[in-house]
Amino acid sequence: MRHLFFCILLSLLCIAPAAADDQTEVSKLLQEKIDAVVVLLQDKAIDKNDRNAQIINIVSPIFNYQTMAKLSLGKKYWPELSAEKQTEFSNLFAQRIQESYLEKLDIYTDEKVVYGQPQAVGKQIHMPTTLVAKDSKIEILYKFYHSGSNWEIYDVEIGGVSVIQTYRSQFDGVLSEGTIDDLLAKLKTQGAFQIPESGEAGG
Amino acid sequence: MRSQTPRISFKPTLVLAVSLAILLSGCSAHQAKNQKPDDSTLQQAAPAAPELESEFELEEEFAEATEQPPLDPLSGYNRLMTHFNDKVYFWVLKPVAQGYRAVVPEGARLAVGRFFNNLLMPVRFTNNLLQLKPKQAGTELARFALNSTIGVLGFADPAAKHFDLQPYPEDFGQTLGHYGVGSGFHIVLPLLGPSNLRDTIGLIPDHFLDPITYVDDFETRLALRSYKQVNYTSLHVGEYESLKKDAVDLYTFLRDGYEQRREKLIEE
Repeated sequence: MRHLFFCILLSLLCIAPAAADDQTEVSKLLQEKIDAVVVLLQDKAIDKNDRNAQIINIVSPIFNYQTMAKLSLGKKYWPELSAEKQTEFSNLFAQRIQESYLEKLDIYTDEKVVYGQPQAVGKQIHMPTTLVAKDSKIEILYKFYHSGSNWEIYDVEIGGVSVIQTYRSQFDGVLSEGTIDDLLAKLKTQGAFQIPESGEAGG
Repeated sequence: MRSQTPRISFKPTLVLAVSLAILLSGCSAHQAKNQKPDDSTLQQAAPAAPELESEFELEEEFAEATEQPPLDPLSGYNRLMTHFNDKVYFWVLKPVAQGYRAVVPEGARLAVGRFFNNLLMPVRFTNNLLQLKPKQAGTELARFALNSTIGVLGFADPAAKHFDLQPYPEDFGQTLGHYGVGSGFHIVLPLLGPSNLRDTIGLIPDHFLDPITYVDDFETRLALRSYKQVNYTSLHVGEYESLKKDAVDLYTFLRDGYEQRREKLIEE
């Protein structure tokens, strides 16, 4: 027992400064990426497709689409899928997240981003930011986890609404009544970002 | 002198770190062995063991909400009403707001938005008081005094701009939530959109705290409320459309988004 106690004490002593470093690292990482995106957004001369491709290249290293895809289905559904379905789903999901992100950037082009203090939540680090829009402020929380090699985003909360949580409820709704193929079909038609009909999911 | 301090503390930290690393490497290897049997199904998806571990931890964060699907006895009606509101937006509200936007410059529309917002001070003030947040209530009062005078009836917001007095929006639904009243089932209100039992009840006291309610003539009241909505929409055209594109199932999406947002607001 005494050994265990010392072990814990030692780990506490070491982890505290290390965690602070991690927070600084995450904060710096996110700011670097967002600043680079802002530079591209302000460049009005650049071709939009070209710009979008560059933006995706900038942010993709910090978004772990694979983890996001897994979390959006959860332990309940993900393990039951075959490897091919998992890949197909992950790709469609990643495409969706990227398109959604680009779309949001188009709405909020000239807004200022204010960075908050990074917070350690369990082993994760949450990085709060505020988008100062014309007549409102939008809080965007980037949630990072350590993937083993890097700090990567696994969820984004916009005004307290978690992207992953919202997908989980929707996917759960679709999968409790249908199959994974139904869901994939939905993601495919809507992956192209057409506006879904509000009535079609009625049941 | 100052620059030396970190160096001194650095040495023991390094020693500790090394010894800890040795200790932990033993620990984590042990853990990985223990976990292996349960996770066999996921192995193919995540070959890297540390990644696998942290993903299971992440899962916990979301698991709770999905295990217990929200109570939704009105889902049939709610879906219909979501559809109805959606059509009202695209067929009526949006075209009108776009026409208005084409004629009135943005600066004026922002000012009108501030004017209507200033009028709602009694709602914010009262609910801040009810939640025993006297400082925030005081700020609301100060904002109202400043903005109604120097800010010319609230069309400008000198309180935020020059005195750094930010608004503290609170409504009665949040007050109820603050005292532990649960949200109840989800209700989509005609024209007003997503709500729940608690927040719908909360609309009643807030209604009586809204000065527009005391405008005598019914038609004037209706016109004022419609204008307020059109003005607001004119500043936010495209946002609902964009949200809608994120939805796989619009009703579930809006319901969940609303409930999460309200939880967050009550928490603050």
